[in-house]
Amino acid sequence: MHLPDGIVPVEFALAGYAASGVLTALALSQLNRQPDPRAAIPRAAMLTTVFFAAALVAIPVPPTSVHLMLSGLMGVMLGWFAMPAIMVGLFLQAVLFGHGGLTTLGLNGVIVGLPALLAFGFWQLAGRRWPDMAALVAGSGAVVLGLAVFAAIVLAGLPVALDSGAESLAIRAFLLAHLPLVLAEGVIVLALMRVLRRVEPGLVPHV
Amino acid sequence: MALILAFAFAAVGNVMLLPVLGMVALAVLALSGAAVGVVLRRLRGAGVLALGVVLILPFVTGDQVLWQFGPLRWHAEGLAAGLLIGGRLLAIVTVTLAFLTPLPPFRLVAGARALGVPTLMADLALLTLRYLDELRAELARAMLARRLRGGKGGWRGLSDYGVILAAVLIRSHRRAERLWAAMRLRGYGAGVAQSLPPLAARARWGMVLVAAGGVALVLLDRAI
Repeated sequence: MHLPDGIVPVEFALAGYAASGVLTALALSQLNRQPDPRAAIPRAAMLTTVFFAAALVAIPVPPTSVHLMLSGLMGVMLGWFAMPAIMVGLFLQAVLFGHGGLTTLGLNGVIVGLPALLAFGFWQLAGRRWPDMAALVAGSGAVVLGLAVFAAIVLAGLPVALDSGAESLAIRAFLLAHLPLVLAEGVIVLALMRVLRRVEPGLVPHV
Repeated sequence: MALILAFAFAAVGNVMLLPVLGMVALAVLALSGAAVGVVLRRLRGAGVLALGVVLILPFVTGDQVLWQFGPLRWHAEGLAAGLLIGGRLLAIVTVTLAFLTPLPPFRLVAGARALGVPTLMADLALLTLRYLDELRAELARAMLARRLRGGKGGWRGLSDYGVILAAVLIRSHRRAERLWAAMRLRGYGAGVAQSLPPLAARARWGMVLVAAGGVALVLLDRAI
């Protein structure tokens, strides 16, 4: 679910760069407060690679197959590191695989990164007390939020207005088509966090 | 240069300028030295998307009917919007691939660092690239092993994917710990990513030329 080049006006693309720049700067300033921010780079790079590789695999979810977004999981696992890791992942995906775009890199950073940071915040609030519920909500909720931002940008950025009937139909079809992804991400993040809590609790924040 | 041209193309709002975009993109492709076959192969996805936009938008937007079949109407405004979006998409992806495909990834990261990307992100990109192929292969092996063991399909198998991802994450984390220890022992401090040397005069002039071309394209678009 990446926004390709050319779909939205250039003003949107520039605003996307500004917004993701602010989010990344905020994340980096939080990371720089840590005693040794560089110590976390290899771990963040490994996790970024896992998420990047996992997002390229098509998972069969009847009646279709989905590519995972994993922004909720990135937020939970990487915390503030999620935003720079997502920007790096999106840049490499655009350049190496042609997924997403160069002009829309900033907007895609907002679509994937903002839900990741909110999932991180939600996990901080609820992860210790209700880890299963928090994992499910972080996984599915991040996809829902990402979809909402994506749909809003596309509809607002079209060079001509859709008629209201077509717009409502398009939104319904879009949400229905992505329902399997919403549910699949929730289930996968829940299963993953359960395994990590049992086998490698040190990897799970708060546990 | 790719970014300047990509943004100039994205700023075009007049469908009449699409042939100019196409010619500039093809000229860049010819001059860049990129393998045309590789670029065309990677353009396939963008081409399908562009075709989809051109075919679908005229059905859902516009007033002036060009063609009608029963309740289906093809509108002129939708066709113009579809052509604009599809044309911009193909032109931007072509110049991006033409400029960036011939570059080895480490030069790409060095270039990003020269543009002001923080060291932390440049190092993150390099280390991600370093392990990408290895981890993709590991993930593919785990998925294949699951299938060979007769893993459940469909919805019932989803939690298995979570378990596979958890196993890969745990192994990767342990490898990352060893990597960090090795990097420290080798004296890691100023960052892994190298900065590019200052631009040669020819490259500077190339950038000025591309920037001037981009501004001219935008001005032409506003003037028409």
